[in-house]
Amino acid sequence: MSLEQFKNRSVGTQTYKMVDYEPTPDTGMGRFQRVVSRTFRGELFVGLYVTMREMINALFGGGMHTTKYPFEKLPISPRYRAIHDMLRLLESGHYRCIGCGLCEKICISDCIKMDTRYDENQRKEVTEYTINFGRCIFCGYCAEVCPELAIVHGQRYETASEQRASFSIFDDMLTPKDALGQQQEFDGFGAVSPNADDNIKKTPLAY
Amino acid sequence: MEIAVLPEVTSAGVIIKAIIILAIISAVAGFGTYLERKVLAFMQRRLGPMHVGPFGLLQIAADGIKLFTKEDIVPQNANKLIFQIAPSITAATAFIALAAVPVFPDFTIPEWIPLLGGVFVPSIAADINVGVLFILGMMAAGLYGPLLAGMAQANKWGIIGSARTAIQFLSYEVVTGLSILAPIMLVGSLSLVDFNEYQTGGFASWMVWQQPVAFILFLIAGFAETNRTPFDLLENEAEVISGYATEYSGMRWGMFFIGEYANMITVSVIAAVMFMGGYNDLGFIAGWLIVILKIAFIFFLMLWVRASWPHIRPDQLMWLCWKVLMPIAVINIVITGFVMMV
Amino acid sequence: MSNEITIKIDGVEYKTQEGEYILNAARANDIFIPAICYLTRCSPTLACRICLVEADGKRVYACNAKAKDGMDVTTTTEEILEERRAIMEVYDVNHPLQCGVCDQSGECELQNYTLEMGVDSQSYMIPDSKRESTNWSSVLHYDAGLCIVCERCTTVCKDMIGDAAIKTGPRGGATLDKGLKESMPKDAYSMWNKLQKSVIVPSNGTGETNCSDCGECVAVCPVGALVSRDFVYTTNAWDLKRTPATCAHCSSGCQIYYETKPTSIEDSTEKIYRVTNEWNYVSLCGAGRFGYDFENRVEGKDIEAFDRAVEALQKADSIRFNSVITNEEALMLQTLKEKFGTKLVNPDAYAFQNFLRAYGRPAGKLLYGSDFKEIMSSDFVISVGASLRNDNPNARYAFNNIQKMNKGAGLYFHPVGDKVIEGLGKSVECFYHKAGLEEAALYLILDLFADRDKLPQETIDYIESFHTKGTKIVKEKVMESVTETVIDSETGESKEVSKKIPKMVEKEVEVNENALVTLLGGADDFADKFAKMMKKKEDFALIVGEDLYFHPKATNLATLVSLIESACGMKVAMIPPKTNSLGVALICDLDESANGYTVGYNEAGDFRLSALGDGDLDMPAMNQQEGTLTNMNKRVVPTNAALEYNGYELNDLMSALKSGRKLTIHWTEMLGNKKGFQAIEFDALPNGYTNSGEENRGYLLKNIGKRAGSVKVEKFDETLSLDGEIAYRCNPQRQFSDFTDKAHQIFETFSLYASPSKAQLLGEKVEIDFGGEVLVCGVVVDERMGGDIVKIPDFKSTKDIYSLFGRDRFKTVTIREV
Repeated sequence: MSLEQFKNRSVGTQTYKMVDYEPTPDTGMGRFQRVVSRTFRGELFVGLYVTMREMINALFGGGMHTTKYPFEKLPISPRYRAIHDMLRLLESGHYRCIGCGLCEKICISDCIKMDTRYDENQRKEVTEYTINFGRCIFCGYCAEVCPELAIVHGQRYETASEQRASFSIFDDMLTPKDALGQQQEFDGFGAVSPNADDNIKKTPLAY
Repeated sequence: MEIAVLPEVTSAGVIIKAIIILAIISAVAGFGTYLERKVLAFMQRRLGPMHVGPFGLLQIAADGIKLFTKEDIVPQNANKLIFQIAPSITAATAFIALAAVPVFPDFTIPEWIPLLGGVFVPSIAADINVGVLFILGMMAAGLYGPLLAGMAQANKWGIIGSARTAIQFLSYEVVTGLSILAPIMLVGSLSLVDFNEYQTGGFASWMVWQQPVAFILFLIAGFAETNRTPFDLLENEAEVISGYATEYSGMRWGMFFIGEYANMITVSVIAAVMFMGGYNDLGFIAGWLIVILKIAFIFFLMLWVRASWPHIRPDQLMWLCWKVLMPIAVINIVITGFVMMV
Repeated sequence: MSNEITIKIDGVEYKTQEGEYILNAARANDIFIPAICYLTRCSPTLACRICLVEADGKRVYACNAKAKDGMDVTTTTEEILEERRAIMEVYDVNHPLQCGVCDQSGECELQNYTLEMGVDSQSYMIPDSKRESTNWSSVLHYDAGLCIVCERCTTVCKDMIGDAAIKTGPRGGATLDKGLKESMPKDAYSMWNKLQKSVIVPSNGTGETNCSDCGECVAVCPVGALVSRDFVYTTNAWDLKRTPATCAHCSSGCQIYYETKPTSIEDSTEKIYRVTNEWNYVSLCGAGRFGYDFENRVEGKDIEAFDRAVEALQKADSIRFNSVITNEEALMLQTLKEKFGTKLVNPDAYAFQNFLRAYGRPAGKLLYGSDFKEIMSSDFVISVGASLRNDNPNARYAFNNIQKMNKGAGLYFHPVGDKVIEGLGKSVECFYHKAGLEEAALYLILDLFADRDKLPQETIDYIESFHTKGTKIVKEKVMESVTETVIDSETGESKEVSKKIPKMVEKEVEVNENALVTLLGGADDFADKFAKMMKKKEDFALIVGEDLYFHPKATNLATLVSLIESACGMKVAMIPPKTNSLGVALICDLDESANGYTVGYNEAGDFRLSALGDGDLDMPAMNQQEGTLTNMNKRVVPTNAALEYNGYELNDLMSALKSGRKLTIHWTEMLGNKKGFQAIEFDALPNGYTNSGEENRGYLLKNIGKRAGSVKVEKFDETLSLDGEIAYRCNPQRQFSDFTDKAHQIFETFSLYASPSKAQLLGEKVEIDFGGEVLVCGVVVDERMGGDIVKIPDFKSTKDIYSLFGRDRFKTVTIREV
């Protein structure tokens, strides 16, 4: 790949369009004329009009934009990256995490840690899992890389707490067992794209 | 013209007046901060303070409690004495200026009130015959507050802030003085009471119709004198953090703002009395009401302007003062003089 | 040796050796040819067929096609790429998609080659069969489901380790559709055909391997099928920090990597999770691979103990230590000796030092002439006085590799029977002689191999005195021509047909009987066998072991070894008894015995410095310190600290005694003052291998000795041979010192080891009487031992086995059951 396009550092000069650009007058008379024209053009009153209009609209026209947080909350995008949730399998209720360690590896602020072991059922068991939210920058790579859709970004963005640990314990991040029915499938980073089936070639299994 | 016979002004009446001014203007200055926040919020389609008291009205109280209880920090290398005195200068000068301003109509305390019953409280605490000059003088002296504060705090932003104070206040003092010179020439007195008397002829007799240029010049200069947008260069966050107030905290910081709001009220009162018909009755509306409405309008105008306009550069400020406003003010005086002569 | 030739690979000319495999030639020149099943130093398996290349227009497998002068090799053509892709697709058929949890993920060759060949879709399918994962031994875990049957494990076990403990067995999978033979690439089909039929099983028919538990199969496994049991699912490969180091357990000084990671989320102290090696160039033993957690965890510096240690060192009359120390530490101890006149006592290094000196005197050498790397290229190897399986695994690997790779032959002289050595090859001849007759063994070697012109007449006469002429009746096969008349059944014609029929004829031949062979317990037909063994042999090597250093006539044995080296043109290499015995022998002036106030370093003493955590002052263990070791290949190799150590080091004690350096590794340069060593600073020492397998670790010792002097060899002393109940001081496999014993994956206990037949007579627990002193220990059956001699381990320093055995390695004892 050529580096030419990176060497051009006059960013944007080709695509930017100057608005209301008029050359600066260089004679005293020119400048005087500009002052006079600007003074009497009444633009200052346009400014006053705009703010007054907005105020009237806000007070009487229902144009007030304030959301009375925390009494009112706006719905957040599924792509919003808040405190992580660990999901469970809907059928068995077992947590989805297989302990592959990809989130641990990809984490750019190195805040995910896990301990695993070989359990009695010859499976990899996650014995401990923590996220250090003091370091987490909520980049969403962990959710994106997770092959099992086990770690996702949840909807909990109110993260003021006396203890960061309140959010970082595996059991706290896991969907509660009795709330399995309310578990939301995550649509943000790392979720399967709606047309995933069209993009893969299937492995033959016709015997 | 019928000359009203006023009851005798006693010292008790003056003291009561002074206390009333101090108490009410302080409260109103505090309320001014509330109003400012509210108006700015509405203009930005927000709600503003909402949670303390109904419609957030008690926000002032909350702020006051906060300011009073906050730690008073004096920087290590600051000149302690000056640093501590400076806020009082701002507040004091603002209130002293109010001494010569007719703030409310005069009244007599009803007889049934013990001790003070029958005491006449004048509309103006000190009806001196150089009232306007005194007000201008006191407001000019107010520049020592920010100037000393900035220089005493051993902080480069403070120094820049106080330098700006010096040039801005001194420059615009000239414009203020010159702009109201023309109305003074017309009235022939420096007493605000005389200004009021001059405009008794109803709406058409308002000074603003005779001296529109002076009015505009006075407003512009008033904005600069009170350190309001678009001339809030003394403490513009983007450039000099908080300027002269950078190192201040707690009530000392609050006193600057009481001073600022008191000054805003002073300017509003002067504008209302000198140019907008004073406290004369307007048609069926009582004089005391109409003056409050006028003062409120000027005050609101200051907030409105703050919400609407960006502030200007220091060099533009100076340019505006010395190259535009001062010449216009002088020309205005000369024309006024010619008109009076002819 | 072989000649240099020029071959062309992808149009570029490269130099290589004649007879080198194309694959190795390419690798040495940094050209990539994919290969899964091939292992450098082992025979080509031809299981994966992915190393397919075109040589002079013909398709060959790079791993077993030898380079010829002017050969033109193309590594990739369209058909080859198609074939390789098909092979990778086939490998991926039914391979479980559990990379997420697989231990090999991230360093898996199946993953790598699947991506390399661009396999993004699958064209083949077959029903899967259930394959269970099992544990083969206390350390080996085999998941058949993940196995791709590349047979690297079986190859390395057979060609390198010599156990041949695993082999391919039937899998019971579905058979391939014959039609595929036509439709799919040829090599991919035959690979698949084999893959579908086989799986790896222990070769003894049971579910468990009875092997040395070296774990080399785990190391070479390209996928996650073979993993050590302790490591399964504990961490991902990429989380581990690799510290290049040198194994601290035996004198091989193998290059290893300690792989560390914090213990757990709560405990952030680093822990060694496993040990890996460059398995193409070096093979580890079980101690090296699994005996890694012998670190000495110390909370902090114990100032009081330190002061006491300084005081103890000042007043010490002797320092007792063993050879599990670095060269730098040895130099520090030597400095102490020079400063305070303290005696340095180290029985194993002392014996080795004396032997080396005696050996070097006639030839004027400092060290033995050859090393184990060179020995590996010979085709006839003799081992004397070493229990190869136990003393030094790498010497055994070399012995085995010569049989397998060089079509070699071997002679093994040792009093203790060893079934593993017997099984290494058909042309391995074992002499289980009486203990004490090592001199006779060396004389027999002289007799068999020496160039008579190079021997003194006296010795020739002595050797000839053992030969007697005799007659022997030999049966011989003779081909006799017989003419028959045959009637053709169809035509009715009769024909004369002449045939050759074998016939046994008895013949009396004159034979040269050798009394030495008989004395050493050789087979009657040894002479014939030996003649067969000698066919096409050019390169001879001799491995000398610890028995000789502890022999009462060690000096004479050393002189004999020197004579063998010069007269037989043999490569001679010796096995230093313990980790750094060679280094200690070269650096320290040792004394025979301790007296007075003794400071013990990892040994018993009045004041004990210990890296085992049980002494009066803690010292760092080998995986916690930097320094160099001198290995048996005469190399000074660096080792690095894998784990942190918070306590005092020997250098701190030296500093307190006003002779320390700033850091321990600043002593490395000072080694230059000692004979053979060089003044190179520690940080300049490399520790790795090049692509061509060249060892690039540390530096080689210079072999310059004193002026040669003539020394006469003495006749051997038959009276030294021991009779009766004999104990042999020898560690079980995977145990070398207290450090291996400390490791949690080394299970061999401190017991008496005996062959099954002997153990039957002994019972479960015995009392061994060393003529006064008595040792009580349990009895463990070692199925791979033979004969009546029992082994007593010496790895526990607290048991003080060296003093029980004295200056001998074999001792007549009385064993009683308790």
